[in-house]
Amino acid sequence: MKLAEKIINGERAAIAKAITLVESSKPDDRIESRKLISQLIDNPGKSIRVGFSGPPGVGKSTFIESFGSYLVGKELKLGILAIDPSSQITGGSILGDKTRMIEISKNPNTFIRSTPSRGSLGGISNGTREASIILDAAGYDYIFIETVGVGQSEVVASNLVDIFSLIVGPGSGDELQGIKKGITEYADIFIVNKNDGNLKIEASKTAADYKSAISYYKKNEVSSSKEVLLVSAIEQTGMDEVINTIQEIVLQNKKNNSFESKRCEQLKFWLSEEIKNIMQLDIQRKIDKAGSIGHFSDRIINGDISMYDAIETITDKLQSE
Amino acid sequence: MTDKFRENFDNWQKSFEKETKQSSDKAISDTDEGIEIKPVYTKDDLKKLSFVEENSLPGQWPYTRGPKASMYTNRPWTIRQYAGFSTAEESNEFYKKNLESGQKGLSVAFDLPTHRGYDSDDDLVMGDVGKAGVAIDTVEDMKILFNEIPLDKMSVSMTMNGAVLPVLSAFVVAGEEQNVKKNLLSGTIQNDILKEFMVRNTYIYPPEPSMKIVADIIEFTSKEMPKFNSISISGYHMQEAGADNVLELAYTLADGMEYVRAAMSKGLDVDDFAPRLSFFFAIGTDFFMEIAKLRAARTLWSKIMRDFGAKNEKSLILRTHCQTSGVSLTEKDPYNNIIRTSYEAMSAILGGTQSLHTNSFDEAIALPTDESARIARNTQLILQNETGVTKTVDPLAGSYFVESLTEELSQKAWEIIEEIEELGGMTKAVKAGIPKLKIEESATKKQAKVDSGNRVVVGVNKFKNPHEPSVDVRVIDNNRVRDDQIKKIESIKGSRNQKAVEKSLSDLTNAAKENLNLLAYSIEAIKNRATIGEVSKALEEVYGRHFATSLSVSGVYGKHFENDEDFMNVKDKVEGFEKSNGRRPRVLIVKMGQDGHDRGAKIVATSFADMGFDVDMGPLFQSPKDVAKDAIENDVHAIGVSTLAAGHKTLVPELMKSLKELDPNSKMIVFVGGVIPEQDYDFLYKQNISAIFGPGSNIIESAEKVIDLISKNLELK
Ligand code: B12
Ligand SMILES: Nc1nc2c(ncn2[C@@H]2O[C@H](COP(=O)(O)OP(=O)(O)OP(=O)(O)O)[C@@H](O)[C@H]2O)c(=O)[nH]1
Ligand SMILES: [Mg+2]
Repeated sequence: MKLAEKIINGERAAIAKAITLVESSKPDDRIESRKLISQLIDNPGKSIRVGFSGPPGVGKSTFIESFGSYLVGKELKLGILAIDPSSQITGGSILGDKTRMIEISKNPNTFIRSTPSRGSLGGISNGTREASIILDAAGYDYIFIETVGVGQSEVVASNLVDIFSLIVGPGSGDELQGIKKGITEYADIFIVNKNDGNLKIEASKTAADYKSAISYYKKNEVSSSKEVLLVSAIEQTGMDEVINTIQEIVLQNKKNNSFESKRCEQLKFWLSEEIKNIMQLDIQRKIDKAGSIGHFSDRIINGDISMYDAIETITDKLQSE
Repeated sequence: MTDKFRENFDNWQKSFEKETKQSSDKAISDTDEGIEIKPVYTKDDLKKLSFVEENSLPGQWPYTRGPKASMYTNRPWTIRQYAGFSTAEESNEFYKKNLESGQKGLSVAFDLPTHRGYDSDDDLVMGDVGKAGVAIDTVEDMKILFNEIPLDKMSVSMTMNGAVLPVLSAFVVAGEEQNVKKNLLSGTIQNDILKEFMVRNTYIYPPEPSMKIVADIIEFTSKEMPKFNSISISGYHMQEAGADNVLELAYTLADGMEYVRAAMSKGLDVDDFAPRLSFFFAIGTDFFMEIAKLRAARTLWSKIMRDFGAKNEKSLILRTHCQTSGVSLTEKDPYNNIIRTSYEAMSAILGGTQSLHTNSFDEAIALPTDESARIARNTQLILQNETGVTKTVDPLAGSYFVESLTEELSQKAWEIIEEIEELGGMTKAVKAGIPKLKIEESATKKQAKVDSGNRVVVGVNKFKNPHEPSVDVRVIDNNRVRDDQIKKIESIKGSRNQKAVEKSLSDLTNAAKENLNLLAYSIEAIKNRATIGEVSKALEEVYGRHFATSLSVSGVYGKHFENDEDFMNVKDKVEGFEKSNGRRPRVLIVKMGQDGHDRGAKIVATSFADMGFDVDMGPLFQSPKDVAKDAIENDVHAIGVSTLAAGHKTLVPELMKSLKELDPNSKMIVFVGGVIPEQDYDFLYKQNISAIFGPGSNIIESAEKVIDLISKNLELK
């Protein structure tokens, strides 16, 4: 049987191998990967893709464990892609997300894959989009993508999913000022986690802050309905509201066609990203090959040539190649 | 200062420099604690003492020189060997033999299912019953355990923390049914839950309800069991998990403060319970440091308790049990361990411990045999009877060096204690995972020192024995033990008054809901022949079960090897691997069953990551089936099983089976690390295990072997 068929059959090992393939940096694999993805795209599933982003330690994984258990309890199949930040220094990484997803990882209706981010933009690793295509073809009802949200990353992450949610902790309302515009633009749902114990008051306050910030930017075009929800991942409260909100947004977006148009926009985005990536790799290869940067920087330091002259000389040379 | 001293000192400095070609100011040795050891100490150093009171004598404030005035001159320390294995019957035989041979106190080691509140018939504990301690399911087992051991005369220490309520209850009921009233029971229950969350990993409930249970026990025993130590505040496990002595000292005392507060929050007066708090420290190989640690611990505790408003002198005094370090003992050339243990025992005695366990030389291989246990016990008998160390109290008092070390340790520990207090106390710190991470960092540093040869371990990284001796091991047939236990459970469940059991269990659940003291309810349930597992579950209904999330250190191991050839070689191999395979070698490191020894797994994980591997870290207590799912979904190249609590012969075959079930074509490599007696190697290789890494394995060499095996495996495909 071919890999694509096995995936469509939902074979666990095949899905896993396919994700390895689409994440691979080996040129041969990239060719295989493209073939596979084109086959799978022709057999789309019915998955709803939801992104969960947020600062380190707000409880993204714990929330997914909690919300996920709730969903698999309703006989839904759940695919999870957790992007783990890897160490910049050593290149290696410790993928510890699963220590926070103990219960759902046992469930036969889940598929959980961790991926080291390799320092790529937005904490989204190469292949995350393709991996979600694989899980979709394999028949998962929901695909969750966990990413660490830092600054710009929301743009990339939100372009992967149908619904993008930002998880924040109690007390993070103060940070709102600076990032207000960015997040309200890209997030559909704001989930204020840790609404439990003596954090409750602070959590409610944070939720209120977000609500007022949102009403301020309501006129926004990218995503119409925005919700602020209070949950506790640890006490598993607020899960009903989260799923209801997700389903409502999906329904509404499907009705007004924005569901499909968003997917279309995303395709455009990924096309240009892919092209950029390929070009960038190509340019980097050329720069490395030319090997002249070191030579020029020495000359700049020695005062033999000005920086701008050096830049011009190098780019001229690269472009003429 | 007399001029004569100055003159002598100058001359000494000159001579030192002549002999060593180095100024004595520069000749400083480092320690794990970051305390700098000078080549010589003088009376100048005594001027720097502030915690230590020069004029104090044994049994006097601040008790640096010992809790009692007479110490061993009146009565030597108690030889208290920690033991337990297989069934209650077999452990009982073992205890009785030991008591006949000169051991004084008992100390019970329970198996891991009991620790974690599971009955022996629970599917989750298939590989663990009776393996690393004695299996106790009901009070009937407890009665067998103490058969012919009079509980009004014998002081019994029990290492129990997670399932502390049912186990202490079973002890009380066993006593009652031996006709010993509970107010006559003497001994100690460990009941120290905070260090479970940090390092020992036999917790059941989340931190808050667990702390409530600790306080319940302190409250109950302070009223009803006046001869019983309600808690043994333990640093031992921290050092064994990798903490240096400052961390061990600081965290232990900070834990103690937290327990004092918990008990006081019940409305108890500090002097009602503080005299029954006891401590437990590890004694490692750093000879003088360990002596100083015990002296510093007493010094600091008296200060802490005075600040709590204690008036009774007994409340101010830190009494402690000690155990020599297991982690200092090696699998290689194991008879060396007898020597190590002897020196450590000597440290404990010079530090003034009240009781002592000495480890057996087969520590890194399996549970002790009768023979190795005899030698371990004799180590203490010889110390007591032949060396003369009992003839005078605190013989090292006044030693410039030891007094300075005592002072420095006190100061450093005090700084950390103050930090934790600022954070809001140990419960908060533990919940945030800070102490655990610090201890893992320290453990990783220690490993790096050994792997780089910077620290010598005789027989392991230097002076290896070309003729490794083979030693006998204690073998426990866990299927037999499990079958025996299941039969006993079935017969008890068949004959007990089921209505009464159910009522007492639901009373217990309600008591938890209403926040009442739980011990009396638990005693009632146990008396009705409820099992340990049933009592634990009755509380789980209210409190839930705790799952730990764990953080990992990064870069600590690698830093020690910046220009190391072997390390760089592995890193290069990893990078080469990525180029030709499109991704890095990816390894899933797992702990299966109830084995909570995570030191090795965590160190290996962080070190492998430092060499560039992608390492998936599984949670504790995974079942083989969950591991297989995890491994296959993440398409890892290899699974590394870390197993120390002797479950490997059940759990590894289960894993291999589960892998095949999930993916019949699976070519995944599996290797095993941890405590594996050599006798079991063939068994594991027959299961298609690719490599076995025993205690003392150099991690860089292990990593190289792993990547080579993975590469070879990929070529074969
Ligand atoms: C430290 C220790 C503890 C600490 C654990 C702290 C922690 N968080 O890990 C404490 C004090 C808490 C503890 C408690 C207990 N312990 Co203990 N403990 C040890 C001890 C002394 C050392 C283990 C260790 O950490 N070594 C240092 C690390 C770095 O080495 P390592 O794990 O072996 O790993 C190395 C290699 O094995 C290999 N490796 C290991 N895993 C992997 C994985 C991979 C992928 C690779 C490549 C390599 C690899 O590489 C590592 C580096 O060299 C051993 C005896 C010994 N000397 O080995 C007993 C020992 C394991 N403990 C034992 C027992 C019985 C217990 C208890 C169950 C006692 C009881 N009944 O209460 C408790 C309960 C613990 C629990 N929850 O499971 C027994 C097990 C008996 C058996 N196997 O037959 C032992 C063997 C001692 C004995 N002889 O009695 N223990
Ligand atoms: N009080 C409370 N604590 C929570 C809750 N959810 C998560 N936490 C705690 O927050 C910490 C971080 O949780 P994680 O789930 O690892 O957070 P994360 O966002 O996935 O973290 P990274 O993947 O490292 O970015 C853990 O200690 C959790 O126990 C919650 O609902 N309430
Ligand atoms: Mg996470």
